[in-house]
Formats: sequence, structure tokens, C-alpha cells
Amino acid sequence: MPRMKPSQRIYAWFEQRLQLEGPIADAAFHPVPRTTASWFYVFGSAAFTLFLLQVVTGILLALVYVPSAGEAWNSLNVLNHQIPLGWYLRALHGWGSNFMVAIVFIHMTQVFLFGAYKYPRELTWTFGVFLLILTLGMAFTGQVLRFDQDAYWGLGIGVSMVSRVPLIGGGLVHILLGGPIIAGATLARFFDLHVFVIPGLLLGFALLHIWMVLKLGVNEWPMPGRLVRRSTYVAEYNRLAHEDGIPFLPGAFWKDLAFSAAIVAAVAVCAYFFGPSGPGGPPDPAIIQTNPKPDFPFLWIFSILAYLPPALETPVILIAPILALLALFAVPFVAGEGEKSWTRRPVAVLAVALIAVAWGEFTQLAGTTPWSPHMEAWSSDPIPVHYLRNATPLVRQGANVFQEKQCRNCHSIGGLGGQRGPALDDVATRMTRDQMRFKVVTGGGNMPAFGKDLSPAEIEALVAYLSTLHPANERPAYTPSRPYTDTGSPAATPPPAASGSTP
Amino acid sequence: MRPAMRPGTRLWTHFAMRLVALLAAAPLALLGGCHSAPGYPPQSEGPPSSITDFATLYSQNCAACHGRNGQDGPALDLNNPEYLALVDDASLRKWTAEGVAGTEMPAFAESSGGMLTSAQIDALVAGMRKAWAKPNAFAGAAPPPYAQAKSGDPHRGEQAYKASCAGCHQNSPDEQITNSAYLALVSDQGLRTITIAGRPDIAQPDWRHDAPGGKLTTPLTAADVNDIVAYLGSLRNPVALTQAPAQAVDQPAVSKKRQTLSASRAVGGSN
Repeated sequence: MPRMKPSQRIYAWFEQRLQLEGPIADAAFHPVPRTTASWFYVFGSAAFTLFLLQVVTGILLALVYVPSAGEAWNSLNVLNHQIPLGWYLRALHGWGSNFMVAIVFIHMTQVFLFGAYKYPRELTWTFGVFLLILTLGMAFTGQVLRFDQDAYWGLGIGVSMVSRVPLIGGGLVHILLGGPIIAGATLARFFDLHVFVIPGLLLGFALLHIWMVLKLGVNEWPMPGRLVRRSTYVAEYNRLAHEDGIPFLPGAFWKDLAFSAAIVAAVAVCAYFFGPSGPGGPPDPAIIQTNPKPDFPFLWIFSILAYLPPALETPVILIAPILALLALFAVPFVAGEGEKSWTRRPVAVLAVALIAVAWGEFTQLAGTTPWSPHMEAWSSDPIPVHYLRNATPLVRQGANVFQEKQCRNCHSIGGLGGQRGPALDDVATRMTRDQMRFKVVTGGGNMPAFGKDLSPAEIEALVAYLSTLHPANERPAYTPSRPYTDTGSPAATPPPAASGSTP
Repeated sequence: MRPAMRPGTRLWTHFAMRLVALLAAAPLALLGGCHSAPGYPPQSEGPPSSITDFATLYSQNCAACHGRNGQDGPALDLNNPEYLALVDDASLRKWTAEGVAGTEMPAFAESSGGMLTSAQIDALVAGMRKAWAKPNAFAGAAPPPYAQAKSGDPHRGEQAYKASCAGCHQNSPDEQITNSAYLALVSDQGLRTITIAGRPDIAQPDWRHDAPGGKLTTPLTAADVNDIVAYLGSLRNPVALTQAPAQAVDQPAVSKKRQTLSASRAVGGSN
């Protein structure tokens, strides 16, 4: 036996006992079809890399984070401002989460379009669906641990959805929150879920998922016309892998590694330039000056819930997710054979396109649609100065009424204010004084009736102010019969002239 | 047994290690100036009750009616050194905290149903003084007292109004300050304050007419101001006002309670 170096001797000592060299070498160098060495096949490994990044950054964050309702928000601020690079660590974890959710969805889309879920990889897909659910579970519980106003109200909405489950809804809420309300026990439960339960399951499912990829082989590049048949597929795949194959490492693996490295670098760059998310205002339900929004993976749900008619809320909230998950689980069992290439699967391509467009549209709407009144407008958005130039005392009082009765919270003027109702910069060209008075008093459409909240003098003043809101060169609306009804003579009151207006 | 590593693999591993080291080092190099990094987070906003900065408080709570810089808003210009010299801190704090009954000025103190703590109201009062008050705002002159001491004489007030005010306030009835709807929404103290301190932002002169728009040289006396306010107060006509909108919309939208409230508001207005 030739003499070995000390390092080789140590290696041999361990290898004799562990015997890992064989299985690892088998896994690393097993032949795969040449066509699988593709840049399209790198998303799964990138998702796992991001998971590892989340584990490492999460462990470091947990050194400082305090999972108690009273201390969590403060500990996030300590991380941001008192621990060296604490903010960067939070940013890495937050951006790692965003990237992980995105990459998991991209990976799933690619697998679906490449038909990689077909025989014999049905279970790989099924575990993948579990991994998707767990990833979203991580994103949601992580949002709760960033315990600020968004977290507080996001959790409130989450549990009120859970509470709609028939019979056991209340019990489920108790289990989730550790009581009937969001309190000290709640954060401990979500910390448990985010740090132990879900990551443990995630790791287990991910290892099984990867094990099956190694055992069943990486999906070959789908060729139009090469159909999957249960009787022949395994033999065909082995022929491809052995006759036109390359060893997985380095043939395909280097692309995985390069892409994973690029993704980690992208996370690092995003974290550096865009920083951590929040924390926003303190999670105090007594603070009502807040406009909470969920994190991006859940914005589309936010939109859909906002658009749902009340009667459909419970059915959609409780049934739609189950149907969607059943559909995902059913995919490989319904279409386990046949064509893999997306060029011959129009329904699959259209389904992906439809879901992507709908998702994008709902996410965009959630970010831009003025769902709520602008609650600060009445006291913070000034009336444009030139709107009040030459205004009469009554018109000025009307402007005060407009602000103080919070009309501004729904109706913008000069581009400032709420957008629930129409902007009123030229309302006098659309409505006569009588119409304005009627609308203010009785409401109608989306507008509440203010008749009981305004004194007659306030209504007079408000209408006087609104009737000045028209362009200088455009005559305000008027009722042609008004002069007759007021005085019996048409000449007594001429129609209002175009000049003399303020805006 | 397989060979432990193929020849090409070793070179490749070497390259990959270099690449990983480079990628790991790049962001660390960027972090040289940690607090100046573009992603370095701002301080978290505390609860709204922790804000005591005057500019922020003013812009969030007052600017909508009193104007962005205390001028040119529909409501009284707070950025008027004469007004700030006329009003004392206790009154300013009272109006801010409790509002002015019968007008659009709401109560801002938590104790009165508003959103501001007493520390924040103190900050507003002190901030207005610091930002906008000027020493010797009246240039040595002694203005009539801020608060109305005794009720004035409306008949004398009418004469004084015609002599001193009607020169400018001569538009059609709807457009002048004698409009009963206007008077229903403004308090006696509000009328008095504007008469004494003026509103320079809209060319309303002070009691001396010492402002753009001022035409007379004789200042109003304290009695004149009392009487003019009493005269304007006497023009409030609650009955006509409470009936007008109900007729216009052809339905009884105004409750009894509101009518009573409005009437008492129009008659009272003791601020």
C-alpha cells in the first residue's frame, strides 16, 4: 500500500466509517440527457439556495429579535439602528423572502410548461405544491413577525378569514392567536411556526423533492411529438441519458451554481440599495391613522377581497383556495402522459398566461387603487390659494365646511385629497346649485347623505363654495327655469356669467 | 469505485470558489459606508402622539383651513403678527384644544375627542408664536381688547358699520359679511378678531385701517368694535336658515334637533 499524506489518512478514516463517497459521487456524476444542461433548469436549485440563505440570516436575526408583542417592534428598531449591519441582515432576509417566493413561482411555471410533472415525476410535483404552500406560509408568518401596523392588521384580516370556517372557525382562531385577540401568545405561536414548524417541514419536503430529482433524473428537454407513455418512458429516458448524456456535475450543475450565485448577489444588491422592509408604525390597535397593506405575495388577495360582493366573500374565501390547491395537486394525475412540449399544449400556455396576467393586474390594482378615503386630507391638504382669490366671506366659510366635514377625504381638489368620489375642481360645470344641495343632503351612489350632519347655513356655505369651482372661461351649470320660479320673470336673474370664477 | 474527481472538475471547482469569493466580497465592499448606504432605513415613525415638531403638526392638522404657511386659507390667518400679539396663549390653546363652538373650528385635544395630546397642543401654540409672532406688532398703538367686555349697541353698530365697513363691504347681499348664512358660521369673537387684527393675506385692514384696502385714517374705538360685532350678531336669522334647504330638496332633511342647535348656535356664538 502506497504511503498516504496525513490529510488523505484522515479522509480515509472517516470514509471507511461513513461510506458517503459512493452515494455522493453517484448523485454528482450520474448521467443526465445533454439537453437538461439548460438555463431553464436552474430555478429549483436557486430556490433551495435562497432557502439556505434564509436559514442563515434567520438564525442571525433570531439572536436579537424578541418574539413578544411588547418587545418585537423595539427589537426590529434595535436591529435597524443599533446593531452594526443589523439593517442589512434584515434587508437580506426580507429580499431573500421576496426572491424565494418569486423563484418558487417561476420554477413551478417552468416545470408546468415543460411537462416535467408527467410520469414518473407526479410525486415530485405533489411535494412541490406542498413546498409552494410552505413557502407562502413562511412569507405570511414572516410578515407577522415584522410586528408593525401592517403585520397587526394583516394578521387581523387573516384570522377573520379563518373565523369564517363553519363550526370550527372560532376554535381555529383561538389556536392561531393563542386566545381570542392578538396578544403576547400570538407572536410566540407565529415565531414557532416561522422558525421551527414550517422550516422543518420545508427542509424535509425539499430534501425528498431533491432526492426524487436525483433518482428519477432531471427532466429531458421536451421535444414536440415525443410523447410520454408509462410503458416506455423510463427506457427512453435511460437511453437519452446514457447514449447522449453528460455527467450531472459539472455538465449541468455549473449553471445551477452560477445562477444561484447570481441570485444571491441580486439579493445582496437589492438589500443594499432598497434596504429592509419596515418596521412601519408600532402595532397598536389604538392608532387608527394607518393604511395597512400586505406584502407583495398577498397583494392580489387584498385586491380580490376588496372587489368581492359581500355575499360572495365566505364562499370565495373558503372554497376557492381549496379548489385551486386541488387543481394543482390533480395536474400530474390528470395529464400524467402525453405531450410535454409547450408548443403543443395551448391550454397549458393559455392557463399560465391568464393566471399571470390576472395576478399582475390584481397586484397592480392593490398598489394603485384608492380603496380608502384619504383620512388626513381634511386637516392637511390646503385649498389651492387661487381657488379662494376674490372669494366672498360665505365662500370661504363654505371652504371651511368642505374641509371640516371631511368632504376632502373622498373628493380631491387641486390634485390633493381622496379619490373615492370624483374630483371637484370643476363640479360647478356639472351640477347646478340645486343639484349640489340635493346631493349633499341626500347622498346617492357611493356618497353618504350629509343632511343630518350639516346645518342649513353650512349647506348654504358649502354650495356657495362648490359653485365657484369651474374654469374661468367656462360658465357654471344653471337651471334655465330658475329665474321664472324665483321671481316669475325671466329677466330678473340673468344666467351666471363665465367670468368671476376662481379656479 | 469511481475516481474521486475528474481532471476537468478540479479546474472548474477552483473557478467556482473564486467566483463565490468575489460575489461575497462585492456587497461587503459596498458596505464600507454603512449608514450612508441607500438602503439604510429611516427611523421608524413612532406613534402619532409622539410627534411634537411644529411644522409637522401644523401641516397635518391646521394647514388645510388656515393655509399652508398660516396664510391664504379659508379660515383665519394665524400667520398674522397682529393676531398673535392680540391673542393670549390661554385663548389660543383653548381654541385649539376645544374648538370654537358654532363654527367649523373643531376640537383637537384628546380630552375633547380630537387626536392631539396636550403636549402637542402646547407645541402648536409655542410654534405659532416662534414662527410668526413679531415684537411690537402694533407699532406702539393700543388695540381694543381681545375679548368683548360688555355687549355693544347694535344701532350704534349699524352706524359705525356704514361709516367704517360698508365702503368696501358693499357688494350684493349674498356676497357681504351681513349674509346671514355667513354670520351663522362665524362666532362673535371671530368677527371681533378680524375687525381688530385684520387679515393681511386677503387685504382686510385692521382696526386702524392700517393695511392694504384701508381707506380711513381714524381708527375704530373699542366701543365701535363692540357695537359693530353686536350689529352683525343681530343680523343672524336662524329661522329663515333652518327652512331653506328643506324646501329646496323637497323633503324634511333637517331634524328638529338640528334646527334647535342651529338656532342656539346662531344666537350664541360667544367665543
